[in-house]
Amino acid sequence: MDLLLHLAIVIAIYAVFALSLNVEIGYTGLFNFGHVAFFAIGAYTSALLTLAGAPFGLGLAAGLAAAGLCGYLLSIPALKLQGDYFGIATLGFGEILRMVVNNEVWLTKGPMGLPGIPRPELFGLHFDTLPAYLALSVGMALATFAVLAFIVLSPFGRALKAVRDDETAAEILGKNAFRFKIKSFVIGSVFAGLAGVLWAHYATFISPGDFTLTETILVLLIVVMGGKGTFHGPVVGAVVLIFFQESVRFLRLPPEWTRLLGPLQQMVFGLLLVVFMVFRPEGIVREKGGRRGD
Amino acid sequence: MDSISYYLQTALNGLLAGCIYALFAMGLTLIYGVLNFVNFAHGELIMWGAYFLFLFMGDPFGLPLYAALLPALALTGCLGVAMDFSVFRPLRRANRLTLLIAAMGLSVFLRNAAQFFWGAEVRTYGLEITAGMRFLGLSLTAPQIAIIAVTILCVTAVYLLFFRSRLGKSMRALSDNLDLARISGIDTKRAILAAWVISAVLAAVGGILLALDTNLSPEMGVINLIKAFAATLIGGVGNLWGALLGGLLIGLAENLGVLFVSPGYKDAIAFVIMVIILLARPYVITGERSD
Repeated sequence: MDLLLHLAIVIAIYAVFALSLNVEIGYTGLFNFGHVAFFAIGAYTSALLTLAGAPFGLGLAAGLAAAGLCGYLLSIPALKLQGDYFGIATLGFGEILRMVVNNEVWLTKGPMGLPGIPRPELFGLHFDTLPAYLALSVGMALATFAVLAFIVLSPFGRALKAVRDDETAAEILGKNAFRFKIKSFVIGSVFAGLAGVLWAHYATFISPGDFTLTETILVLLIVVMGGKGTFHGPVVGAVVLIFFQESVRFLRLPPEWTRLLGPLQQMVFGLLLVVFMVFRPEGIVREKGGRRGD
Repeated sequence: MDSISYYLQTALNGLLAGCIYALFAMGLTLIYGVLNFVNFAHGELIMWGAYFLFLFMGDPFGLPLYAALLPALALTGCLGVAMDFSVFRPLRRANRLTLLIAAMGLSVFLRNAAQFFWGAEVRTYGLEITAGMRFLGLSLTAPQIAIIAVTILCVTAVYLLFFRSRLGKSMRALSDNLDLARISGIDTKRAILAAWVISAVLAAVGGILLALDTNLSPEMGVINLIKAFAATLIGGVGNLWGALLGGLLIGLAENLGVLFVSPGYKDAIAFVIMVIILLARPYVITGERSD
C-alpha cells in the first residue's frame, strides 16, 4: 500500500514537472534541455527557507518566485538563440546550476545535501503522512493542470502556438515573438519550481545528485512520449514512465544487477526517445489539428 | 616557480586544452554546415572514441597504444556513420525539434551504454608517466606534446581535404545549399558520409588526446559538447576556422580564468563567455554564415 501511495505521489509531482515543460516544448516550441535547473531552484529555495524555520507557505512562494526569476534572467540572453542553440544554452545552464549547488557549500552544504526537510504544514493542515501528502500533490497537480489549461486556451495560448508554428507570420500579425517566448519560459519555470518544492518536501532530503541531466531526460521523455502540445499527454507519459521507473526500483534483484540496472534503464529511455521521434513524433496522445510530424 | 613562468605555464595549459576543444568544435561545426543541425550526440563520439581505445588496449586485445589507435578511430568513424543511417537519415526532412530530441535520445543511449559496459568510474589508459620536456621553465609531458603535434596534423589534413580536394569542394557546396548541390550533380550521399566520418574521427582524436592527458569517464562527452558549442559560437556557426580559433580561445579563457575564480567553476567559464557573446552579438547565428 505504501508502495502504491509512493508511486502516486511521484507520478503527481512528475505530472506537474512535465506539464510545465509542455508549455515550453509543446506549446511554444522552445527546446529547453535544462529544465531540471528550475526544479532544483524550487527545491533548494523552499528547503533552505523551511530548514531555517520559515513556514511552508513562504518556502513555496519563494520557491516559485526564485524559479520564475531565474527563468526570466536566463531567457533574455538565451532566447536570442534559435532552436538548437537555445537547447544547448539551457543544457549548459542546467550543468552550471548543479556546479553552483555543489560549490557553494556555505549555502547548500554542497554534495552532502540537505537532510531533514520538514513535511509541509499549510493553513493549519499537516501533510506528514503519505495519504495526506498524496492529497497535497494531487491537489497541486490538478491546480497546475487547470491553470495551464486556462492559459493555453486563452488568446495568449493561441499566440504561443502561432509563434511556435510560424514565428514570422506571428510577427507580421503584430505579436512580439520574443516577449511571448519569455513569458512562456517564465511560466514553465515557475511550475517546474512548484514540482521541485513538492519533491523536496516529499523526499525530505535533497542533494545535487538529484538534479542531473538524467532528470531532464526523464521529464523530456514524459512529455514527448505522452504527446507534446496536448493537455493529457504529459499526464499519460508521467503515469507510464514513472510506473516503469519506480517499479523497477522495488524489484528484488541481486546487488550485482542493480549496478547495471541504472544505465540499462537510461538506455531504454534514450532508445524510446529515438524510436518515438522516428516512428511517432507526435507521441501517444496526438495534438488536435496538429500535422503529423509536428 | 616564479610568477611569470606560472602565468606562462597556465597559458600553455590553456592552449593545450584549446587544441582539444578546437578538434571537437570543428567536427560539430562540420555536421552543422552540411546538414544544418546541431548533433547533440557529438559528445558521445568524443567519449566512445576514448573508450574504443581503452577497449583495444585492455583485455582481450592488449594492443599497444599505437596499434590500438587505428581500430579505435575506424570504429568511431563507423559509429558516426551508423548514427546517421539509423537516426538522422530517416529524419532528414523532419522538423528541427524532432531531430533535436532524437539526437538527445541517441546521446543518452550511447552514454549509458558506455556506463553499462565500463561502469561510471573515472579510468585512465594506465600508461607509464613519462618525463616531460622542459624549456624556459615550462614543462610539457609526452601526451601534451602529442596534443600539439596531432592538432597541427589534423588541421592541416582538414585544410587539404576541404580546400584542395574535390570531395571537400562538394562538402562545401552542400553546406552552402543542399538542394542546389544535389541538382548540380554532386553525390550528396557520399559527401554526407564523408562529413560524418571526418566529424567522428576528429571527435575521437580529441577524446583520446584528452583521455591521455587526463582520464576518461562516460560523462566526458556532455561537458565537452557544451565547450565545443561555445567555441563554434565564437567562431561563427558552420565556419571551420572560426571553430578552431574559438576552441583555442575557450581553452585559454578557462585556464586563465581559474586564476580569478574557484576551480570548481572552471567548466562554467565557457558558458559565461557564450552568454557574453550572445548579449554583445545577439544575432550571431541567425543563419548567415561568415564563410
